[in-house]
Amino acid sequence: MKKMYFVLAVICAGVVLLANTNRLAGSKYGFKVGTPEIKSISALAFGPDGVLLIGDSKSGTVFAMDTKDAVANNAATPVEIKNIDQKIASLLGTTAENVTIQDIVVNPVSKTVYCAVQSNDGTPVLLKIAGEKIEAVSTKNVPFSSLALNNVPSETDKDQRGNPIRVSAISDIGFADGKVLVSGLSGQTFSSTFRSIPFPFTDKQDAATLEIYHAAHGKYETLAPIKTFTTAEISGKKYLVASYTCTPLVLFPMDELKPGTHVKGRTVAEMGSGNQPIDMVTVKKGGDSFLMMANSARPVFKVKYKNIESYQGSLTTPVEENFATAGVNFVSLPVTNVIQMDKLDDSRMIMLQRRSNGSLDLWTSSERYL
Amino acid sequence: MCSLTFFVLTIIISCQKNDEKKAVSIIWKNKKAVAVSIPNQLAEGTKPISVRVDASYDNELTIFGDIEKQEDRLIFTPLIPFTRGLTYEIFEGEKSIAQFSIPQPDASDAPKLTAIFPTQDTVPENLLKVYLQFSQPMREGRSAQHVALLDDQADTVKNAFLDLQPELWNEDRTQLTLWLDPGRIKRDLQPNKKLGAPMLKNRKYSIIISQHWKDVDGSALAKSYTKTFVTTIRDSLSPVPESWKINPPKSGTLSALMIDFQEPLDHGLLDEAFEITHEDGSKIAGEWQFVREETRELFIPKDHWKPGTYHLKVDARLEDLAANNVNRPFDRDITKGEEQKGPQAFVLVNFQVK
Repeated sequence: MKKMYFVLAVICAGVVLLANTNRLAGSKYGFKVGTPEIKSISALAFGPDGVLLIGDSKSGTVFAMDTKDAVANNAATPVEIKNIDQKIASLLGTTAENVTIQDIVVNPVSKTVYCAVQSNDGTPVLLKIAGEKIEAVSTKNVPFSSLALNNVPSETDKDQRGNPIRVSAISDIGFADGKVLVSGLSGQTFSSTFRSIPFPFTDKQDAATLEIYHAAHGKYETLAPIKTFTTAEISGKKYLVASYTCTPLVLFPMDELKPGTHVKGRTVAEMGSGNQPIDMVTVKKGGDSFLMMANSARPVFKVKYKNIESYQGSLTTPVEENFATAGVNFVSLPVTNVIQMDKLDDSRMIMLQRRSNGSLDLWTSSERYL
Repeated sequence: MCSLTFFVLTIIISCQKNDEKKAVSIIWKNKKAVAVSIPNQLAEGTKPISVRVDASYDNELTIFGDIEKQEDRLIFTPLIPFTRGLTYEIFEGEKSIAQFSIPQPDASDAPKLTAIFPTQDTVPENLLKVYLQFSQPMREGRSAQHVALLDDQADTVKNAFLDLQPELWNEDRTQLTLWLDPGRIKRDLQPNKKLGAPMLKNRKYSIIISQHWKDVDGSALAKSYTKTFVTTIRDSLSPVPESWKINPPKSGTLSALMIDFQEPLDHGLLDEAFEITHEDGSKIAGEWQFVREETRELFIPKDHWKPGTYHLKVDARLEDLAANNVNRPFDRDITKGEEQKGPQAFVLVNFQVK
């Protein structure tokens, strides 16, 4: 009988422990288990411990979702899938012209590739790619939290700052120093809504919009919406490296990105006319770190951060040659039409590229590109 | 004879009923084929059921989706709705057991372009934004294919609009904001110096919207649309609410308050940029109407005007057609010390009702 009590006690203790663990798992980062109402996925990024950040332009919301994919993998397997759009289309029961790959990111912990797809009717789908296998990622009954970017402020806040301008499109999302970075564009005004939001999300709306300006050659100043960005450390100082919709490449010290301030980025390069930077990542080889930049009408550019560091002052002399670029020196890689890019590990990148034969391929770059 | 006819009819009807029981049926929701119902009779029930798309490539892949078992049928719900015009095949194991096709949308469901802003037919050469309004939610990511700016020689102005991905849609995907490339409009940037501004003054331009643009359900626009306008000189000046002409109504009436902006303003923020308060602090309820091609607004109050001083509160982010806002011009020459008002949220303009 005593033995039975003991067994019962152990079982009870086990149940209590398990229940606690479950609750802890659910409440990590303030997450609650449920089904996030994701209306669109326009940008993806990874936060800590396999937390996937999802930028939903349609509802103007950032979701943080626990993928439970947080087992460290130090030997990332390269991915290579030819005609990935056709393959994804078949798996979704449609044809390639009916799906758009919105973003591709690598989970920095597990090195699994995640991919956001949108069907023509607007339905968003989240997929996971391991080797050649593509799987659907369920967003039903998952631990998550969310932050609405278009929350209407209280009447008193309104009097001080006015209504927030609604975000129509989340152009990029990132995670650095415990903060979720979000660049949003407005369909109502020509303005930037760059926010640096402390993570885990809280109820407090302390993520006020920064006013970001650009001064062309120190002369003409405009508001400057951010298209894409990455973060990097240059001489021990952390920077936001961003590209505007009007194309220049600019740097901001991270510690200057404070809510409500008027921030002007230091222009380090103009990436040429008729071109738009699409994606940027920071990679390393040996002691050097590089900014890799995919472009709409140019090859992938590689810029040594050391060159950016030594390039002081803003760009003052425009380049004369047609379609030329100006500012820091960079190398064009023999890779064009890269639509999406992320780093697989410190020295390798995955690229979604439209080949000259029309095929859309996902492949992994080797270290020799650096 | 009668009984024979009855017998034959009974057989036909019962066969039809059996066929109906064996037929797959498509489940529709908001004009989307969201699922397919597969009767148990169709399958032997030994192997798993899967659905594949009959596309020209790679027919081996089974479609992602959920299968729900009901009493007499299986419901397969794909992750995205079935596509109009495509044929699908249902498999039990590796054996094909049925096919179904999704019909093309009805021509009567075709979407329409209901408005283009600015509605003016004269715009500054540095016009920044164009708004397209549709009757139904449209497919995203297609504006670069379906919208073009033509010059007076009917040649396409290349790279006139910025190909933003994601595009700037409102939440229900019925209004799209297009930016004429800001890098080409902004003075002294490389795109501006090398390619020049997208539009020049004193010219005629047309915006063409192609009829091939489809809505989210796959229906194309009923026709193509054209808006023609002429350009005037660059507008580099901020709107100045203090200089607007206000025509105050008489007290005791429900007459409209009329405000003349003296220039057309940008459509984007118009609906929410204004508020009227009485000197006692109370907010005045009523309806705003924008007339004369966004150059004037009318405010029709819900209650009769009381005598006193009123404040027209204008959101300082309100822009004109060249994206000069109340606080600062789009493109400020800092070397000339061009004026910038502080980052104020509002401008107040007073008027009297007598």
